[in-house]
Amino acid sequence: MPCRFLRSCIVYYYKFDFPATSLQKIMATSMAAALAASLPAAPAASAAPAPTYEAIPASMAKVIDIEAEIPLTCVQLDGLVVTKIIKHAREAPSTTAHGLLLGLDLDGTLEVSNSFPLPHHAGDDDEKSAKSSARHQASMLRSLKEVQADDSVVGFYQATTLGAFFNQTLVDTQAIHQEKLRHGGIVIVHDLSQTARGNASFRAYRLTATFMDAYRKSNFSTASLINHRLTFSSILEEVPLKIRTNPLLSAFLGTLEDSKKGGLSSSAEGSKTNSAINPSFSVLDLGTGGVARNLEQIVEAVDNYRTEEGNLSYMSRQIAREKAKAENYIAKRKEENQNRIAQGLAPLPEEDVSRLFKIPAEPSRLESLLVLGQIDAYGKSLAGTASTSLVKMYAAQAGSDV
Amino acid sequence: MPLGPTSSAINIQANSITEAVHNAPRTPTNITIHPVALFSILDHYLRRTDSQDRVIGTLLGTRHDNEVEVRSSFAVLHSETDEQVAVDMDYHRTMYELHHKVNPKEVIVGWYSTGSNLNTYSALIQNFYSQETGPHQAIHVAVNTGVVEGEEAGVKAYISSPVGVFPKPENCVFVPVPVELRFHDAERSGLDLLANTAQASSSTSSQPIADLEIIERAVTSVSEMLDRVLAYVRAVLAGEQKGDPAVGRYLMDTLGASTDDLEKGGFNSSLQDTLMISYLANLVRSQAEVSSRLALAAAS
Repeated sequence: MPCRFLRSCIVYYYKFDFPATSLQKIMATSMAAALAASLPAAPAASAAPAPTYEAIPASMAKVIDIEAEIPLTCVQLDGLVVTKIIKHAREAPSTTAHGLLLGLDLDGTLEVSNSFPLPHHAGDDDEKSAKSSARHQASMLRSLKEVQADDSVVGFYQATTLGAFFNQTLVDTQAIHQEKLRHGGIVIVHDLSQTARGNASFRAYRLTATFMDAYRKSNFSTASLINHRLTFSSILEEVPLKIRTNPLLSAFLGTLEDSKKGGLSSSAEGSKTNSAINPSFSVLDLGTGGVARNLEQIVEAVDNYRTEEGNLSYMSRQIAREKAKAENYIAKRKEENQNRIAQGLAPLPEEDVSRLFKIPAEPSRLESLLVLGQIDAYGKSLAGTASTSLVKMYAAQAGSDV
Repeated sequence: MPLGPTSSAINIQANSITEAVHNAPRTPTNITIHPVALFSILDHYLRRTDSQDRVIGTLLGTRHDNEVEVRSSFAVLHSETDEQVAVDMDYHRTMYELHHKVNPKEVIVGWYSTGSNLNTYSALIQNFYSQETGPHQAIHVAVNTGVVEGEEAGVKAYISSPVGVFPKPENCVFVPVPVELRFHDAERSGLDLLANTAQASSSTSSQPIADLEIIERAVTSVSEMLDRVLAYVRAVLAGEQKGDPAVGRYLMDTLGASTDDLEKGGFNSSLQDTLMISYLANLVRSQAEVSSRLALAAAS
């Protein structure tokens, strides 16, 4: 690895009588390589041009990979990731900013130590964007590895507004992750609107086993839903999430908060523009600006649900019609055969009905399930806003009485 | 800084150079840093190899007039020995392209290093980054992580200007520029969350935090402030302390805010609205729940 520098670096040669420091080498230790090899490949998309390691035989991989046996009980989010996700979510052109989470799992705790955003594709055709996104992931992972950052994918994050994050892409992506990644990987959902209201909200989820079972069979008919007891609330299960700041960050934040010293050297104007973190009271804001938007979203989601239900009932009517037709045909044929037998003729063969009548497959109810989930989430966030604003109103009234 | 404290003479030289070249971009006079950039630098420093004294990386951001806004940063490989310094440019380019794809607005504005040691190598690296940022000037942000005893954690920003009769890349003056932390209001809560986490003894905090808890925290802090103000006002009234007119005016502006609107029936109508919303939200939720249960029961 030291030879990397000879690749194309600009190398300046200068001799000075500086104190001699030992020659620096950046090398990938064999230990790290072995560890990395024992980790499962990143999702199929990102694995393509990954660096190759000495392969560990499949029989041994199981033995070496002890961690995989310990079930995941907790997700630990690093301070850096918190700020990265918030920044990306705010700046992204669409509300659905997403990116990959990197980290390690240790003793049942999934430590998310880094993340990077994925480019947003609008209007590109799917295959092209998927390919470029895969290339982006692969080269990003390679680059991060070179500076000793964690480079194993443990999940992805998704920004959302008003808590409604249920959608097909999220479920699809997470399903792929859950199959490919060790421990299934997690999705961290960041709620933008709640963050704007002063409560930075991060939640970790993964798909439940029953949903995965139904998803694998890609069967979301009514019967399958009943068998799996699937409602929108049993699609995802929440994993406890903790935020952690490493000691260096804690110390630095402490300095920043210490307003007297002023962590950053302040400008000449004096203490007013001092960069130390000023207290903020946006939480106490009485404004209910977001409510109208929230109500609109609910109406929209309910409309979607109606359309979806309309489609479903149309399709089930069609199925019923086809079935009735098929049964009629069979009954007619039987009657005819009885008549022929009575007349002493050979009965007509009973043909395969399914070939004559195409009975459509039962429609998937996944979409309507997800829309219901969205409605519920919007309702939940609306209820939350209402309850906190009640508290704030009474607080303001109590304050004004004094 | 090998060249000793900056003197006014050198500053004049820097200005004269920029004035001489017409249409030259103005030198940055103010630098703001986004927390993400800072935290990335700290993380990079934490992940350095044993043999590295300091780490360097590229700063990305935007420029307006005289202000440079550093919005994010990424680590760059480099090696320093007593004879040579090498910066992995391929790596720098690749990373920049990757970042550029996601966030096309951010361009290279300069570089960072940890520690407050500015030496000849700093000048060389600065020279390299000046080529990257041209025609604008590259900025250099030195983050002192505060791990060395006796040095306080902090951030300093510099721009460079050449020095000497025959300018050489290894000679330059780093002129300090004021730097401040800046973040968007919406990101504020994230920073609060981290600050609270940092104060906890275990450096961890569990999520999600209930809205009420945050409101409670804010109310407590407001009431503490009121107590402090009250103590101050009492002290002034009692003649123990000399009153500051500026403080008085601020207090008048803040506490004079009228709540008439709330008292004159505004409260009740607002209350009704809020209750209605709450009712509606619960209605929607229960309907959704019933609907999903019905879907399960339909065929059985």
